[in-house]
Amino acid sequence: MKRPFRSIRWRLLLWHSLISLALVVAVVVLADRLVTKEKMDRIDREIRNFERRFFREIFDDEKREKGNPPSLDEIRNALRQLNESETGLSGFESLFQENASEPYLATWDKDGTPLFISKNAPDSLALPVFAKKVHPFRYLDRDSFREHQRRYSSGLSIVTGRDISLEIASLHQFRILLGIGGISLLLGALAGSWWLAGRALRPVETISHTASRIAAGNLNERIALANSDTELDQLGHVLNDTFERLASMIEQQKRFTADASHELRTPLTVILSETQRALKRERNPEEYQAIISHCQTAAKRMQALVNSLLLLARHDLETSPEKSPVIDLAAVAAVVADLLEPLAAERHSKITRALTPVQVSARPELLEILVQNLLSNALSHPPEGTAVTIRTHISQKNAILEIHDAGPGIPAEHLPHLFDRFYRADTARSHGSGHSGLGLAIARSITETLHGHIEVTSSPTTGTTFRILLPASEK
Amino acid sequence: MRLLVVEDDPLLLHSLREGLREENYAIDTALDGATGLTMAFEVDFDAIILDGMLPEIDGWEFLRRLRPKKTTPVLMLTARDAIPDRIRGLDAGADDYLVKPFDFDELLARLRALIRRDRGQGSNRLQINEITIDLARKEAMKNDTPISLTPREYALVEYLALHRGVVISRTELYDHLFDESDDSLSNLLDVHVSNIRKKLGSSFISTRRGHGYAIE
Repeated sequence: MKRPFRSIRWRLLLWHSLISLALVVAVVVLADRLVTKEKMDRIDREIRNFERRFFREIFDDEKREKGNPPSLDEIRNALRQLNESETGLSGFESLFQENASEPYLATWDKDGTPLFISKNAPDSLALPVFAKKVHPFRYLDRDSFREHQRRYSSGLSIVTGRDISLEIASLHQFRILLGIGGISLLLGALAGSWWLAGRALRPVETISHTASRIAAGNLNERIALANSDTELDQLGHVLNDTFERLASMIEQQKRFTADASHELRTPLTVILSETQRALKRERNPEEYQAIISHCQTAAKRMQALVNSLLLLARHDLETSPEKSPVIDLAAVAAVVADLLEPLAAERHSKITRALTPVQVSARPELLEILVQNLLSNALSHPPEGTAVTIRTHISQKNAILEIHDAGPGIPAEHLPHLFDRFYRADTARSHGSGHSGLGLAIARSITETLHGHIEVTSSPTTGTTFRILLPASEK
Repeated sequence: MRLLVVEDDPLLLHSLREGLREENYAIDTALDGATGLTMAFEVDFDAIILDGMLPEIDGWEFLRRLRPKKTTPVLMLTARDAIPDRIRGLDAGADDYLVKPFDFDELLARLRALIRRDRGQGSNRLQINEITIDLARKEAMKNDTPISLTPREYALVEYLALHRGVVISRTELYDHLFDESDDSLSNLLDVHVSNIRKKLGSSFISTRRGHGYAIE
């Protein structure tokens, strides 16, 4: 249980409870208003109807058949008479009794003198005061009475009312029930949201625990996915993919380190073996010279290997590319071709050049290594006398370098692995020629650093072509 | 003793060959597994030093093909030092396993142990009557007095001593004491035997006419 207001669960609960509270309150208030209004409307209708009936009753038999509405004086008289009457009015006996649970009625003259006050009117009854001269009617709640008050154009005012304490009590009860219901709803909503948040967040805890375990070292474990398409599953997918990539990168690292140390062991063995042999007995200077020379060869081989490995390692880690100058790819190719002419002569191979100037953005030493690796491969691997061509040109915003040898080609099964580190397609030439198996891996690494692409095509009839595409620079 | 060294690094191969020759072994070499295998079948080597990573046929495949037909002791030399690789090598039929880079003297000692075991010998010192042969120091002693033998003489004595009681034909002796680089004129067995008899006693080596030599 995390500290409240820090944990999502608590925050969800808080927000949810606030929303639920607002909703419940709104509903409760609405219900209360509706029910109250409905009750009041009913009471008002009842009062109005009573008043209407009353007046109809009084004036029903008088003048009705004549078709004229009664005059003001007639009304006054009728009401005054009623006031003094002992018999009351049929149908309205309650007006003449003492209880006010039935509607009561009172009228006053223009000047405020009472015309008729029913016996069951409450003591608190008072002449209504109207702000305007003529007031159609209004409803008033006075204490526990609801009154319909009206002032006619003739100046007569009338009050019809009723004791509504029963209704009020029942409304109160209703409100209490509503309140209890609302609170229980709220509590239910809170409980529900607490449980729901817990359910929803449990997978997050699972994921976080699994991820911690994986990060602690168990790189083969993966987050279990429910295979639904939920957001958490997506998160799990993303994390799993990341772990997959991490694991494979670490595997690659391990393999690389293993391969590298493996490659270094043999030259080391040579040095150890030769020096131990040398010291076993007295030897003549020539023998010593030969032994020392062998040691040097082995040491140089290790040096080249270490340099290649460092180059690759630096490229692996390179995050911020330095600013590279814009140079001519053809010029670099020419320099390297000149450098390798002795090797070409030794191999009785001819280097044909087809160099069109094209600008790229690259550090010259990197480009040189790249071209040299490929060109020396082309001269060394095929049989003696194989023709080699080096070509640069521009095509669709790409600077293209092609190195072709007309040799017997590389078997198709090697082609996908050719650029792998320490991969040797020609296993019969492994150590003798001093090739470490890193030349093409370095070539690919440099090409990728320069935001380019390297590919190889080969067949027994057309020979082998290595093609490098680099983004061409504007001058 | 005649050894076969199969190693694809020419520099290392040369170093091993020279070093072992100086230790009085007759050495034949191969730069790849296929050639090595052919040679191993053709000649009865006393031991084979085998690299793991070889072109054509690798060391483990070499063993897989050799073992059904030959029980030649094999010492594997390889850069692979992981335990699974060692187990794989030993289970494939190698009798010992040395990881590069190795100490040359250790290689020699292990070779001696391999050959000794192959010949059923428990110890490095062989006692034949009053003659003691120390396989480690490559010395022969008569009553604890060292007797000076030439390398060829010692090799012959060692071979016959390790095959004590068995009559070894001249052909076999030629096969096992000399390698292809030897100049045959200096290898007359009879001359060597005669010299040995002078130094260690005439009854040391017995001759079986028409069959060969033996140390009884």
